Amino acid sequence: MTQETQANRVSSQARNRVRAGSRAALSAGFGAVLILTSIICIDSLRTLGAFEINNAQIRQDLLYRERTLGQVRASLYESGNIVRDYILVEPDASAQERLRTELQSIHLETTRALQACIQSLPAAKREPFQHLAMELENYWSTIDPIFAPDAKEKMKQGDSPLRRDVLSQNAGILAITKDVSAVNDEELKEADRRITEVFARFRSRLFLVAATAIGFGLILAAATILYAGRLENKAEEKYQESLQTQRELKELSKRLIDAEERERRAVSRELHDEVGQSLSALLVDVENLIETSSGQSAFRRGLQDIKMLAENCVNEVRNMALLLRPSMLDDLGLVAALEWQAREVSKRTGMIVDMVEENVSDDLPEEHKTCVYRIVQEALNNCSKHAYAKKIRVLVSQEPGRLRVCIEDDGKGFDPSRMRGLGLVGMNERVSQLSGVLEVDSDSMKGTRVRVDLPLPNASAGREN
Amino acid sequence: MKKLRILLADDHVVMRTGLRALLERQPNLEVVGESENGRETVELAGSLRPDVVVMDVGMPVLNGIEATKTIVGQNPATAIVILSMHADESYVMRALKAGARGYLLKDSAAADLMSAIQAVSQNKSFFSPKVSRILAEDYVRVLKQRGAVDSYDLLTAREREILQLLAEGKVNKEVAAALNISPYTVETHRSHILEKLNLHNPAELILYAVRKGIIR
Repeated sequence: MTQETQANRVSSQARNRVRAGSRAALSAGFGAVLILTSIICIDSLRTLGAFEINNAQIRQDLLYRERTLGQVRASLYESGNIVRDYILVEPDASAQERLRTELQSIHLETTRALQACIQSLPAAKREPFQHLAMELENYWSTIDPIFAPDAKEKMKQGDSPLRRDVLSQNAGILAITKDVSAVNDEELKEADRRITEVFARFRSRLFLVAATAIGFGLILAAATILYAGRLENKAEEKYQESLQTQRELKELSKRLIDAEERERRAVSRELHDEVGQSLSALLVDVENLIETSSGQSAFRRGLQDIKMLAENCVNEVRNMALLLRPSMLDDLGLVAALEWQAREVSKRTGMIVDMVEENVSDDLPEEHKTCVYRIVQEALNNCSKHAYAKKIRVLVSQEPGRLRVCIEDDGKGFDPSRMRGLGLVGMNERVSQLSGVLEVDSDSMKGTRVRVDLPLPNASAGREN
Repeated sequence: MKKLRILLADDHVVMRTGLRALLERQPNLEVVGESENGRETVELAGSLRPDVVVMDVGMPVLNGIEATKTIVGQNPATAIVILSMHADESYVMRALKAGARGYLLKDSAAADLMSAIQAVSQNKSFFSPKVSRILAEDYVRVLKQRGAVDSYDLLTAREREILQLLAEGKVNKEVAAALNISPYTVETHRSHILEKLNLHNPAELILYAVRKGIIR
């Protein structure tokens, strides 16, 4: 595995970790706030519901008790009426009997209703009602003698204590019912007070829970923001780091390219100018010697051998120098160098290479000459190595402020979005160093087209025509 | 007989010394000066007025081709022989365009220099046999590669005759005199030749002639 892919993997792992961490923090924060809010809602609803039931129950109880009291009062009046009727009505046995039964049934009903009411009450609240029931029993017991066979006579004779008893009892009971009513009213007030209390409690509890939720939410939000901020900072740091690395890599590759070109040129020049020229001079000297030496055939043969050797050396040196960096590029300019290259490639590979130039000046800046030359060299190399092209067209044209290069072949093409060999990367690198643009179109039907657009510095804005 | 005055231009002392030794053995030649860069050569050519300049291509300050252009521009009568390491068309073509009449390879300089100086001093072209051979081979190869017809076949016998005379360095008037026809007729033939061969200037015409082996 290369270092680059390893670094990629490591950085992608780190990225994933950061992403997972931020996701967990965010979901925890928002989840907690949501849960708190739900708790508040449910609690409020439940409290309200319980309160509603409680309230209704109290009202119902009071109503029930009031009704019982009403019944007691009514039965008192009725019993009073019956007693009066009984006393005043003509002695008719059947009517007397009817009144008595009526009274009895009232007595029974009232007692039952009161007992039921007492049963429904909690023990603490029974007392006034029990008192009432007792008084009522007294009352009934006071009335009963009226229906005794001789009672009537007694009353007629003006024995009124009985009547008085009945009446006073009656008034007493009414007073008791009033008292009970008052107790009831008290209880109603008490219930109201309790309701208010419950409301107050509910309010304070709601306030407490809401405050807690908001407080917790705030803390959570702060923590989340803090955490997210930290993650963001970390990501930003990483991003800056990678940017820096990228810049350094670019700088490095530029230096590499520059250094390579410089070295090539130095070695090429050394070979061409020093070694080549010296060998040429040697050849001239040898020729001189051959001319001046008379006879001595062995010596002449030796010189001829030296000459041949030196000639071979000159050729070797020249070819090596040209491969490193063609002297045409420096002696004759870009177009001459490209033409030479086209011929050489054509000679070597059998491909037809057409080199067309439009308006290209001889004094292009050094980096531009080198850049275009190397790009065309790489492209031609690709054509012969990979594309199996038959025909290549190289077009170099200069316009005011820019230099355009286009290399088209009729080879088998490739997919530029998937295959990007080191050659293309190097070309791109060279072009981007001069702020230019490199485009590669490739199609298995039509071959490949490499286009370069280089901006030119103002000094070489174009050849005067 | 007046001696031919030669200016030697090469940035390598060893080379200059070798060439001078070679030339000074010839009784009819005289080396009048040496220079080691293009600018100096232009200056010396102006002051010494040599008949022939033997010029290295790769020289500092101003290269041989540029120097040739300037010298020929100042004094068209100066004949220039280019000395080069390269038998490549780019160099030959640019040397011719600059106004050089001879083109020698350094590795055969000693053998060909005399003939070259003689030829260019008589206003004729001269190329190292190796250069002619390589240019001719290239030409044939390109024709074959492209399956193209050799446009030389399109020329009439008279046009071929005139092509050769022009390529040897003769001007219209000299050609007219040699063939006993009017200079205007020569000019007409000349433009036909350039058109048929798709050539644009005298330099290309000479290069073509070399490739075809019409002149050597």
